[in-house]
Amino acid sequence: MNHIFVVGTSHHTAPLDCRERVSFSEDQFTDAFRLLKDSRQIGEAVILSTCNRVEIYAAANSKDGCTLLFNFLSDYHQIDPRQLAQFTYNYQNLDAVRHLFNVATSLDSMVVGEPQILGQVKTAFDQSQSVGASGDILKRLFTKAIRVGKRVRTETNIGAGAVSISFVAVQLAKKIFQSLEDKTVVIIGAGEMSELTAQHLVENGVSNVIVANRTYERAVEIAEKFGGTPLTYDADLSFLIDADIVITSTNASHHLIQRQALVEIMRKRKHRYMFLIDIAVPRDVDPEVAGVENAFLYNIDDLEAVVASNLKERGQEAETAAQIVETESVKFHLELQAFDVNPTIKALHRQFQQITSRELDICLDKAELSPEQQKIVESMIQSITKKLLHQPTTHLRQIAMASDSLELVNDINDDYVPYVRALQELFALESADDVYMENKD
Amino acid sequence: MDFLFLLTLLIYLAASIFHVFFLTTGDRKIDRFAYWVTIGGFALHSFYLVLRWLRQGEFPMAYWYDSASFFAWAIILIYLCIAHLTRLRTVGSFVVPAAFLANLIAYTLPKGNAAVSPALQNYWLITHSTFIFLAYAAFVAAFGFGLMYLIEEKRIREKRHTLLYNLLPALGRSDRIGHKCIVVGVILMTIGIIIGIFWTRNVQEVKWRWVDAKVIFTIATWLIYVLQLSIRQVFGWYGRRTAYSAIIGFAAVLFTYVGVNLFLPSIHAF
Repeated sequence: MNHIFVVGTSHHTAPLDCRERVSFSEDQFTDAFRLLKDSRQIGEAVILSTCNRVEIYAAANSKDGCTLLFNFLSDYHQIDPRQLAQFTYNYQNLDAVRHLFNVATSLDSMVVGEPQILGQVKTAFDQSQSVGASGDILKRLFTKAIRVGKRVRTETNIGAGAVSISFVAVQLAKKIFQSLEDKTVVIIGAGEMSELTAQHLVENGVSNVIVANRTYERAVEIAEKFGGTPLTYDADLSFLIDADIVITSTNASHHLIQRQALVEIMRKRKHRYMFLIDIAVPRDVDPEVAGVENAFLYNIDDLEAVVASNLKERGQEAETAAQIVETESVKFHLELQAFDVNPTIKALHRQFQQITSRELDICLDKAELSPEQQKIVESMIQSITKKLLHQPTTHLRQIAMASDSLELVNDINDDYVPYVRALQELFALESADDVYMENKD
Repeated sequence: MDFLFLLTLLIYLAASIFHVFFLTTGDRKIDRFAYWVTIGGFALHSFYLVLRWLRQGEFPMAYWYDSASFFAWAIILIYLCIAHLTRLRTVGSFVVPAAFLANLIAYTLPKGNAAVSPALQNYWLITHSTFIFLAYAAFVAAFGFGLMYLIEEKRIREKRHTLLYNLLPALGRSDRIGHKCIVVGVILMTIGIIIGIFWTRNVQEVKWRWVDAKVIFTIATWLIYVLQLSIRQVFGWYGRRTAYSAIIGFAAVLFTYVGVNLFLPSIHAF
């Protein structure tokens, strides 16, 4: 019977230096997959290795897949098992499914709602598939996980609000301009935050960067990072006429941009929108500027307030997402169990089909029936077959999906195994695995 | 027939409710649903108008009832065009209720089967009223974008990043599309007015008077929009000013359409 396992470590359980030691680089994947397969007990595997987590997902026929994976990890990276045990976790079956769904929906991420992880999960699966390391079970699991990830994205607002100051600034700029292409951003002063914000703006389409600084050399230095134009800061602010977005972060003790000056600039630029982001403390932009038509001013507190409210919102959305994950993982787990008995059911149906069609042929040869009569006989045979098989089929599926497995998640529910065996022996079916292989081809 | 019209009215009511409901929930499914309900209502409405036209044998434009209903139809048509071209359905939350109101008013008005005076009954009537009402409808859309702009601007200024803030389009976008609506409206209205002038010139019975109240106010409305467009071009009246002028212009449209007939004499029945 097939079980799903995961062994891994993440930012929840291990600091960076521990995660580093168990991570897999891209060129290690093929090698690792080969070793896993060679163990013969692991049928399928996917390795998810990102900067925040390293996890191996596997489908195996044995019950101690977790131990196998753990040993593999310890051997491969040559880490003392006792040490490794301290910062790894392992799950199986329903718990493993739930864990992957939590990962894919970013509920397990450092920043809940971050969008990268879904793509990383997809890549991890693709890599495994490209070397032939994943089969039917993991294919189902990961396809479902990606679908659940997408569903959470569309049905909740988990990734809606930006949760860092620089991203909030980008989102706001988009709320004002719609598209940032052909826009000009002016950075006054220097600083990590202002450069990061400018960086994000450039990544989102801003094409023109102007850096104004009191010392020209410093301006050149920063401008080089964005391919921008350096300028010596000039108190008459004429360089703002072309500025659509202004980021200020100087150490000046007074307001660099006064209301009256800005009104004048706005007139010169025909009142096109201007978005001012004042990250400096003390502030560089006169708060009165906020009242100028078509000029929008956000200071560091405003941006932080947006971040806080977005984080709060994500927390609420995460609860909805967690419910989706829960229902989906239970559903998937049940489907998986039903999937386990499917080959046997198929084999049974096929056997019945073969017998009936053979007998039918003989019968039709003997009796000279009109086409209508032939049809009637054929449909009768079919319906008898169907009805005979209906009861055992549904019953077997029900046993496989028996609800008590929910409580006994780690204690794998094998109730259906004797039934499958009995069916196979009584009807002399080909072994379920053979059928399974056949279906795969 | 009456039943058909009532059904159209009810569908528009449902579409309005769904559109507004979308703004309060942010559920994209509701948004999509509202859009399709609107399309359904529009199809039914078009069917009804054609049916009425066929029944009368003449373009039905003799009553307030007809004009209000046609106005509603034009509003939805323009909205569907915008939604199709820009993939922006949020404006529906503002203009679909307007169309519903126009239709509701039509519903309460008396209607008969008389046609417009035969002298006026020709293609001029059809084209004149079509262009004028499509222009009005474009102005209604511009009004919708103006409202959305003002609400969104207020949210950004007050730093209230609520659901509504997320659903409304970016300022630049509302401004740009609203502006385009006005441009389209002005073009349609210009054509409509010119057709109107030639039309009455060709008809002996109606004496063309420049001093007709409806004509004066129509031209005043037209001037408001043209003025706004020129100022925007020259001095850069972006954003809030465009939004305000869209709202003022809309008030002028309403007065020209309804007010004039209530207070002043005119050759136009409506």
